Amino acid sequence: MAKSKGASGQRTNKTILGRTLVLALVCGVVAFSVLAVRLYKLMITDHDFYEEHAVSQQTRTVSVAASRGTIYDVNGNTLAKSSTAYTVFISPYEIKYYHEKEYKSNEIHYNDEPTLIARELSRILGVDYDWIMKLTERTDSWYERVATKIDGDLADQVRQFKADNKIVGVHIEEDSKRYYPYGSLACHVVGFVGTDNYGLEGIEALYDSSLEGTNGSIVRLVANNGTEMLFENYQNYNDAIDGCDMTLTLDYEIQSVIEKYLQDAIKANYILNGGCCIVMNVKTGEILGLANANAYDLNSPWDLAEEVKEQIAQVEDEKERDNAQTQALYDQWRNRAISDTYEPGSVFKIITMSIGLEEGVLHENDSFYCGGSIPAGNIPGRTTDLNCWELSGHGNQNLREAAMHSCNVAFTNMALKIGAKTYYDYVDAFGLFDYTDIDLSGEGGSQWWTREDFENPLDKSSLAATGFGQTFAVTPIQMITAVAAAVNGGYLMQPYIVKEMRGADGEVVYSKEPTVVRQVISEETSALVASILESVVGDPGGTGSNAYVPGYRVGGKTGTTTKTPIEAAEHRKEYMVSFCGIAPCDDPEIAVLLVLDNPDQTSGIYVSGGGMAAPYVGKIMGEILPYLGIQPNYSPEEEAYLDVTVPRLVGKDLVTARETLNSLGLSFREVGEGSTVTSQLPVTGAQVAAGSQIILYLSDVPQEEPVTVPLLYGMTVNEARNTLQNLGLFLDTSGASPAIRGVKVQAQAIPEGETVPYGAVINVTLVDTSNLSSDVLA
Amino acid sequence: MDRYVGEPVTGSASDGRAAAPERELRDRVRESRRVERGAFDMPFFLLTLLILTIGVIMVLSASFARAYYYGGNATYFFVRQLGFALFGVVLMLVASHVTPAFMRSVSLPFLLFTWVLLFMVLIVGTGGEEVGANRWLDLGFVQFQPSELAKIAEILFFATLICTYKDKMKTFKYGVLPFGIVIGITVLLLYFEPHLSASVIIIALGAIMMWAGGTRWQYFAVGGAAVGAVGYLVVTKMAYASARITAWLDPWSDPLDSGLQTIQSLYAIGSGGLLGLGLGQGRQKYMYLPEEHNDFIFSIVCEELGFVGAMLILVLFALLIIRGYWLAVHARDRFGALVITGITSLLAIQVILNVAVVTNLVPCTGISLPFFSYGGTALLLQLAEMGIVLSVSREIPLRRSKSDGGEK
Repeated sequence: MAKSKGASGQRTNKTILGRTLVLALVCGVVAFSVLAVRLYKLMITDHDFYEEHAVSQQTRTVSVAASRGTIYDVNGNTLAKSSTAYTVFISPYEIKYYHEKEYKSNEIHYNDEPTLIARELSRILGVDYDWIMKLTERTDSWYERVATKIDGDLADQVRQFKADNKIVGVHIEEDSKRYYPYGSLACHVVGFVGTDNYGLEGIEALYDSSLEGTNGSIVRLVANNGTEMLFENYQNYNDAIDGCDMTLTLDYEIQSVIEKYLQDAIKANYILNGGCCIVMNVKTGEILGLANANAYDLNSPWDLAEEVKEQIAQVEDEKERDNAQTQALYDQWRNRAISDTYEPGSVFKIITMSIGLEEGVLHENDSFYCGGSIPAGNIPGRTTDLNCWELSGHGNQNLREAAMHSCNVAFTNMALKIGAKTYYDYVDAFGLFDYTDIDLSGEGGSQWWTREDFENPLDKSSLAATGFGQTFAVTPIQMITAVAAAVNGGYLMQPYIVKEMRGADGEVVYSKEPTVVRQVISEETSALVASILESVVGDPGGTGSNAYVPGYRVGGKTGTTTKTPIEAAEHRKEYMVSFCGIAPCDDPEIAVLLVLDNPDQTSGIYVSGGGMAAPYVGKIMGEILPYLGIQPNYSPEEEAYLDVTVPRLVGKDLVTARETLNSLGLSFREVGEGSTVTSQLPVTGAQVAAGSQIILYLSDVPQEEPVTVPLLYGMTVNEARNTLQNLGLFLDTSGASPAIRGVKVQAQAIPEGETVPYGAVINVTLVDTSNLSSDVLA
Repeated sequence: MDRYVGEPVTGSASDGRAAAPERELRDRVRESRRVERGAFDMPFFLLTLLILTIGVIMVLSASFARAYYYGGNATYFFVRQLGFALFGVVLMLVASHVTPAFMRSVSLPFLLFTWVLLFMVLIVGTGGEEVGANRWLDLGFVQFQPSELAKIAEILFFATLICTYKDKMKTFKYGVLPFGIVIGITVLLLYFEPHLSASVIIIALGAIMMWAGGTRWQYFAVGGAAVGAVGYLVVTKMAYASARITAWLDPWSDPLDSGLQTIQSLYAIGSGGLLGLGLGQGRQKYMYLPEEHNDFIFSIVCEELGFVGAMLILVLFALLIIRGYWLAVHARDRFGALVITGITSLLAIQVILNVAVVTNLVPCTGISLPFFSYGGTALLLQLAEMGIVLSVSREIPLRRSKSDGGEK
């Protein structure tokens, strides 16, 4: 019994032993081997795959925006710069996800969170509450922008809100904001950037790749709740490479001057379609200033002028209104000085005479008779008589006189004498068929006859009209470049506006040297052309006399054209007036081209480049020539008519004061009794016309009533001075020299009817009306 | 020679002799008291301590991020786990003094007691909000899962049963039926919680006990087929289960919900590489990997200690388990052997299933890693179980013959 029991027990024991060993084998060895193989596959074989995915979810890459390069003018004034701004965005996915996963057991409910975020962001950023609520509903999105380009203090407020409320899913990223300190100054040159800091216009667009730099990134580990991990053991920096800083040839001072006078010229002459002005260094091709009338604030390029907005608002159809809006923006941004073409008119006579003189076909002393017109029959292909603007004719004149008179008959004959082939070759040589390749975006091309048509021996009408600058169109930049070539010694320069670029480390990475495209005419011819242009302005009877600047040798050529296509299509005249000035004529440094589009013919002002554009080119020259360090050299006659700076007389005894004023050519009036000057009008440092009567107060200064400014238009200098003097006001002149006989007031700085303090100085623009030419076919 | 305690007196009942049961029982108790108990098994004890130490350190490493971000106290989980570990070691030493005879004598009441507790869970249990099931009993100062107790109760009671029916284990009536009933009742109670992973362990553990106890292997074939069939039906017919299978086969099909844990676990494990990111340097614990200091702590181990470290820990577990079976084989009596086999197998099942889950070898289910996963009462019970093994190891004759050989 016991034995059998024992045997049975032993069998059972054996079974248990065997089975336990099987268990030990399975649970202790086999299963662990399987796990080891599995771990090996996951951790060694597929390590890279999992690590990549893990790292990608554990790291946040923060883009470090490269700082966009600064744009400076030639003197280092900042035209465009970037400053730090911030973008606030929300991650609706995170907001929802975290509240579902992490706060499930907490009291916070998901529904409260978007409300809180929307309310606070709306309060801080001024963004619409409902709109943010709508964004939070896009729960599969990680990135919904709430506000862009916000300032640092607003960003701080958002950060504070985040910290206070432990908000998940609201993020702030650094961005940069483009700022243009001078607003609209040189807007068409500088251009602007879009919200993504991508250059859209001007230098900003053309040199975008140089300016933008290369963005860097910071990769850092973040916990799944968006905060940083406690111990950073993985970080990766890619430094941003800042964009290049850019120095332009543009000069802030010159740009300011031309923008001011462009606006003045447009206002004074009732110009309807705006205009443009370019200042070029004729020796180098550097653009010192370039302005269009359609200026806009670079800090808000999408805002239209009020009157344009009103016009658009009146458009009924929504689609048309959108189109009008778009068109208006393009018009506003268009750099007309390089994009639009115009018929240069008589300014082109500079080219005609350059060709003739260079080819030896024309000589300075050749005689050109003008009887007022050329019969149609004398010009093959022409159907009507070709009239000079002076219908009575200019009579016999040499080349210089023909230029001074801007005689169309004479220049037609010159062109015919030169011949179509030669003429066409030179037009090509002056670069008028090609782009100037100025480094600005949107340069337009010229419109010309084909060589075949131009050289057609049976139809010389185009050659004849080209002689005085009509029936073709060039851009203002082409025109001024060609004129520069005509006067700078004959070298066609490539105009440019970017002088230098420096990398982020300050190293010069680009530097533009003046580029001679080709020599078009000889230095001798060029000097002669400059001399003739000086006569147009400086000699008695010259049509450009209004551009005269005392003490400077200014030359130039007027231009007045009817727009041929409009005349042909609509049988009405629309004018384009212009003036291209150069100075100093003995060694030209700069050229100034002012083009005014469509003066209002109902204004009563005589439509002419000489009357409308030349005075302002003169004013521009008068300011920028001294600025450029070119010293004036006055003739004795000029000195007598120069404006005088009022000296300080207060505190001086009467005798000394009288002597001082006499020596300056000023008269005076004494008020009160005494031997010492107690006060004076105008104040020290004011500019007044020669011969003005200074008021000297010898005792108490009486209380003087403010004065209403009178209308001075059409008065001579003396008339204007006396009129003002009688009212207790003073005159200061600009424009044509008072030395020229027949100059009259064309515009006044302070309009008629305005009230000014007693003793104020009124600036007037003088215009020589005696030699105005319309330069145009009558 | 045959000195198994508690052999049923098979012969006495059949030949009708007055058996005088009282006396026999008294003799048996005396006999058991005579059993000499020596020192416990030092390798098993040291392995346990070593694994426990590593486990507690890993709780610190895995939990500090979440503890810091959501409670402000980075060492919250660690300090609690450390306290339980120290208390657990004491408990283990105490348990190592509880005699197998006593265990055997209380195995049935203990099983009934756990059933009562499992039933109470259904009424007053907690935990529903977090896992969607009531599995905890809240004793005020501590919460614990009665299902953990049920596993020990099953081991002890099955060991008792096997010793009682030792010669009839090959019959269906004794070798299968009683076991099946116990498993059935326990699983039924768990089913109502519900608690799938505990059910799986109860079934597997029961099967292992029966296997070790000598149940015919044919029954396992039939049972396995039945379980397979039921499993297949569950997987194909029940949306919840089939979703789990889908998430298992292709976690990326739903990376933000059902596949989330698995994917994040694989990221953690895979990014560990050969040597890992270094202790404390893991990144997946920063709220990427859910349950990082509980069921998925081994993923963090892999991420931080690398393949080398993970293998080292698995080897330690394997050694502990093999040592456990070695002790079972060398146990003084059948009851002790079966208890050690059960406890060791329970440990093995949990370790293997846990690692298989985190490595996505098997579908995701909540099984914690012994000595590693955060959880006070579970750790206490695990250490107590180790204490039971140590207690049995004190009676191993081989040991005694070595150390006390001179006395005999």
